[in-house]
Amino acid sequence: MGLAVKIQDLRKSFGGFEALKGVNFEVDEAEIFGLIGPNGAGKTTTLRILGTLIRPTSGQAEVFGHDVVKDANAVRVILSYLPEDAGAYQYLNGEEYLRFMAGFYAHEKTALEEMVQAGRDISGLGDRLRDRVNDYSRGMKRRLLIARALMIKPKLTILDEPTSGLDVIQAYHVRGMIKDYAKRMGVTMLVSSHNMLEVEYLCDRVALINEGVIIAEGTPTQIKTRYNAVNLEQAFMEATQLG
Amino acid sequence: MGSFTSIVYKEIKELVRDPKILFGVVLLPLLLYPLMGQGIQISQQAVETSIKGAKFSIYSDDAGTIANILVQYIKTNNTVLTIEASSLQDALIKFKDSDSVALVYIPNGYSQNITEGLKGNVKIYGNLKNLNLAEASSSEVAGSLVNVYNYYYSLSLIKSLLTDSEQTGSPVAIHDPIRLSFASIIKGNVIEVSPSQITSLIVSQSIMLPIMVMMMVIFAIQMAATSIALEKEQKTLETLMTLPVGRLTILAGKLTGSVVIAIAGSISYMIGFSYYTSSAFSFAPQVTSVDMSGAGIGIQPMGYALLGLVMFVTLVSALALAISLAVFTDSVRSAQSLTGVLIVPLIIPAMILMFSDIEMLPQTIQWVLLAIPYTHTMLATKAALLGNYWIIVRSIGYISVFTVVVLWAAAKIFSTERIITSRFTNLTFRKRKKQSS
Repeated sequence: MGLAVKIQDLRKSFGGFEALKGVNFEVDEAEIFGLIGPNGAGKTTTLRILGTLIRPTSGQAEVFGHDVVKDANAVRVILSYLPEDAGAYQYLNGEEYLRFMAGFYAHEKTALEEMVQAGRDISGLGDRLRDRVNDYSRGMKRRLLIARALMIKPKLTILDEPTSGLDVIQAYHVRGMIKDYAKRMGVTMLVSSHNMLEVEYLCDRVALINEGVIIAEGTPTQIKTRYNAVNLEQAFMEATQLG
Repeated sequence: MGSFTSIVYKEIKELVRDPKILFGVVLLPLLLYPLMGQGIQISQQAVETSIKGAKFSIYSDDAGTIANILVQYIKTNNTVLTIEASSLQDALIKFKDSDSVALVYIPNGYSQNITEGLKGNVKIYGNLKNLNLAEASSSEVAGSLVNVYNYYYSLSLIKSLLTDSEQTGSPVAIHDPIRLSFASIIKGNVIEVSPSQITSLIVSQSIMLPIMVMMMVIFAIQMAATSIALEKEQKTLETLMTLPVGRLTILAGKLTGSVVIAIAGSISYMIGFSYYTSSAFSFAPQVTSVDMSGAGIGIQPMGYALLGLVMFVTLVSALALAISLAVFTDSVRSAQSLTGVLIVPLIIPAMILMFSDIEMLPQTIQWVLLAIPYTHTMLATKAALLGNYWIIVRSIGYISVFTVVVLWAAAKIFSTERIITSRFTNLTFRKRKKQSS
């Protein structure tokens, strides 16, 4: 198994504000890696750099050996990124949305149909895929978007706060979708969340980030043991010495 | 389907399915303008009917024979109420309470003045109860009746004078010794149409065309800005930017989709507007009866082709400008308020050129107006009407250069992270300080 993501001394400033202050971590292939921290910690900035949306001020970020700045196009082909609170085109129906997105990856009709079918299966939305997206509930939209992100069988899937804004039942279903897909397909995922219990359930390894710096990294069990905590939430509080 | 076609197809589908766009851009002009035209036609017909059935009053302080002849003339073929009163003041009170729209007042001394070869006075009072067009027009009709009488009475006086002095001659020729007629020379051709008739046509066109251009560009700007802002608001643009597709392809796809809908909107606007003009001005045949192509001021096929090109580059530049500005916003509302500033350089030349020709303006104002690219679109529409193709080519050149600059700026913005990080809120630009959540 090789390295899926390699981040070295990653820094990003917006004007005078330093969002990332030298972030380092690695994600192994076929691993679900969680980036956890409070709002404003630097999670989204890190994921946006990996998603080729913004450029780092300094440092290096690689996805399967491709530099996200120098080789952004190659990264985009193998990566699927789901932003936090993302929406879908409200006047397209679910099926049209999946087809539109699949069109950027599949260049033959058969491949396109296979991809759309995978999207249908992952979403579990059935006949509701024929309805327009603006008729969907929040949970249905998120299932459609996760299906969009996963149907292309990306080498790396980045999910930024995948259950943010969902109620307990919807969040439970979405977590189940992600876990099930990862188990079946053995894909690499990088998940960010401020819900530490969710990350503990989903991820093989996690990194705790606070104020633009990684403060701990390891499996959930290793981190809990290191800080003598019953869960990651408590471990985070200990790591930041806020507890 | 390639990435570009996919984006264009998606863009058109989204815009057409948006009820606000479908109704506001495509259906509203088709419904609104014919309805407005019909409304004007109905009101004009009502005014005409009201004028035809208008009642007049007459009050004469003069009991002379000559005054009586005028009274009899006015009474013929008209519904006339003869007011019996002790004074003019009393007559006016009665007139005010009557359903007459005009009072013809013949003061004492009218007959004597005429007999002595002096001018006889007649005064018309309008009864403006509702201050509407029909009331004012009816007073004019009463005035016309007196004028017609005046003309024929003058002819009969001339005739009797000629007879008395045993001279020969036509009373009509003596009354109006000069017969004045007008013709116009346009592009070397003599046209038997008065300059005022032609200019009134040009003025009506030069008011209509800038409005049409202005409306079309405003539609396009609002549509493109809304489309980008919606993508930003829903974070679909953020997703789109991470797909394996060039950012310029995304920009070109969005532009093309908006251009297609804007053209559809313009066509529906032109159809609606032509219904409006044909129905609204159908009561005034003199406005539309002059054959413009005979006068050499119709739009020829070459003019239409060049005009189409002007409209196309104008639309592309406006859309690129709207998109460039909208990327700095984070919501539809802020996009619409920011792109609202683009309407100013459209309204100013449209308003000025509606009522004036550019050459008539002071030099400084001319330069300021000519610096605004949309002024050239409006100048080109008028030039197409007159067949001045060089002006249209010059307009296309200027707008194209401007469009290339704007497209270059839009492409620059699209290829940087500004499209994700910058936003416009409360009239200030700022970068997101907190990127993480």
